[in-house]
Amino acid sequence: MLIGAVTPGLMAQTVTVRTVADALHVQARGLNFIEGPVLTRLREGRSVRIDFEMTVLSKPEGPAVKQALQGFTLSFDLWEERFAVSRIGTPPKSISHLRPRDAETWCLDNLTMPVSSLGVGRATPFWLRLAYRVRDVAPETNEAPGERYTLRGLIDRLSRRREEADLAKSVDAGPFRLP
Amino acid sequence: MRTLALLFTLLGLLPPVAYAQEADAPEGAIIDAVEVSGFSLYDLSPGLQKDINSLVGAPLSRERLNELASRVEEQQPEVVAAVRSVSRPDGKARVVFLVARISDDTDLSENINARYVVESVDVEGPYNAISQQLRDDLQKLVGKRLDTDEAERLKDQLESELPGREVSRRISKGSQSGRIRVVFEVFEEPWIRFVPPRSKLVYHSEQGWSGALDIPMSGSRSRQRFTAGVVFNDIDDLIEEYSGFRLAFESRMIGTERLGARLEFSRYNQTWEDATLSAIASSPGIPEVYRNRLTFEPTATFAFNPSVRINGGVSISELESLMNSPSSQMANAWLAGISADHTWESKNDIRQRAEASYQLRAAVDGLGSDLFYKRHIGQARYQFDQRHSTAITSLSLGYISGNAPLFERFSLGNSTTLRGWDKYDIAPLGGERMFHSSVEYRFYNVAVFFDTGSVWDRTTNSTIRYSTGFGIHNDNFFLTLGFPLNNDDDSGPIFMTGVRF
Repeated sequence: MLIGAVTPGLMAQTVTVRTVADALHVQARGLNFIEGPVLTRLREGRSVRIDFEMTVLSKPEGPAVKQALQGFTLSFDLWEERFAVSRIGTPPKSISHLRPRDAETWCLDNLTMPVSSLGVGRATPFWLRLAYRVRDVAPETNEAPGERYTLRGLIDRLSRRREEADLAKSVDAGPFRLP
Repeated sequence: MRTLALLFTLLGLLPPVAYAQEADAPEGAIIDAVEVSGFSLYDLSPGLQKDINSLVGAPLSRERLNELASRVEEQQPEVVAAVRSVSRPDGKARVVFLVARISDDTDLSENINARYVVESVDVEGPYNAISQQLRDDLQKLVGKRLDTDEAERLKDQLESELPGREVSRRISKGSQSGRIRVVFEVFEEPWIRFVPPRSKLVYHSEQGWSGALDIPMSGSRSRQRFTAGVVFNDIDDLIEEYSGFRLAFESRMIGTERLGARLEFSRYNQTWEDATLSAIASSPGIPEVYRNRLTFEPTATFAFNPSVRINGGVSISELESLMNSPSSQMANAWLAGISADHTWESKNDIRQRAEASYQLRAAVDGLGSDLFYKRHIGQARYQFDQRHSTAITSLSLGYISGNAPLFERFSLGNSTTLRGWDKYDIAPLGGERMFHSSVEYRFYNVAVFFDTGSVWDRTTNSTIRYSTGFGIHNDNFFLTLGFPLNNDDDSGPIFMTGVRF
């Protein structure tokens, strides 16, 4: 398992990568996305789609060497009070009865990239960018047009920026080397 | 999918086929056989296998069966499990555990709650405004597994029958285990909107600071609102510089969403710039300056639809003379106006908003006014947003006839009009005629603008003034530098900054 340094602004996340056969897996402890407006929506029985993007970079902020995209659909079992996740695409794969952190980990476990496609040798360092975006979830808003300049509206707008930040996040880490 | 269909058929959630004649076994019946379908018993832990096998010979307990089904799901989280007991002719019971993969079912993959039966369907909103056909269709969801596609179609249908309103769907637990309630929430877009608060902290390098704080008090979806406001000092709005307080009560729905009302009471103390006092001394036809302005203004608004409204009311103002206190003058006027606005949003991130209004204030016989005048003002504004770009254009036209008090007279040259000019240089007493237009472009909140305008009296000629400038400007905050383009003297640029909320 390889642990990568994280860019200074995102020290809360620890990114690690590992290889299983020809697949490169990533884990990001602290990259929690089942919270805030996503959690609220899930607890209201709605489903939420989250798209992940894993990009291998040749250097920090450098050009992309390889990119993998994967979408997931999350829902919250109202009676079991556990989360369910489905991987979008073929072959379909689903799991339920997960706690929030386990559901997040399951998503990342199912975001892989063929090691052979990276074209980097064992001695060659590489960097990773892991990003996610929550789709179809708008920050909560109750305001009507023309009401946005109220004190309440201003507070709502400032809180909404925090919510918007929760709906998309990106973390860069590295350097890594293949084992 | 076929496995699940069988599973739910057995559970009686779909039209029964094979088990139509078999009744549920009663609680306490002795179990004589246990089957597991769609899954190998040997994939479960030895302890769970033993517990399932030990059901044979035991009295039937649904609580126990559901607990075992839950344990199956916990051990094999990629499946859902259901259990059914079937009554034998000899009074004993046969128990069937049916297990199916979640990924085999599109609805379950989309939302795990699709495994549950819909107990009820509710609409939180104007239920009476929905067609009977749609109400019937909504109720058809009851008693079946949640069909997410059908629920989504009905949500779209609700939005289509309730134009201008947004519909959201949520699910909550039902009254029994395994049952859910589906709720369609209808959010109203009010036909009549509250008057936006006028809180601000603004600095103009020629005029100084202006500050006001309005505190609206209401729930986010409340139909009534009370606003208390303090004006610490305002030299930005009018020719007068004023401070004081205001209280307003608004209702945006009186019996119907088409009718609203507003009451505002304000008391302001005035101070005057030297330029104004000098100018009024040589303008005997203009009403005198005052030290206090006390105003009560009840108005009503009627909305034809969410975009078009008319309003009417009265404005009663008492102006306490600055020079001859405590004598005062009344400036009482009928109010009437019409306004329209509309927003268009397209899928390629383009948003357009157009607003237009006309307001008349008429101080005529019958209201006990000491000053008689008519004040007309028409305004239009268009805004185009696409991603990080915003273009705004606006036009205002004003006309006063009669003998209007100073607070009614038009002025240009502040933080929103003829930016780059000082209103006390243009017209220290304001004017009876006015036009102003502005074009502004913003990219990532970096703004450039070009303002044009003129304010004059019926006895003077109009001088058109131009200004341009740049700065940072978003919905709330601005920091701009304005340059007069056709100023006769060498006055420099004007710096303006502030926040409005």
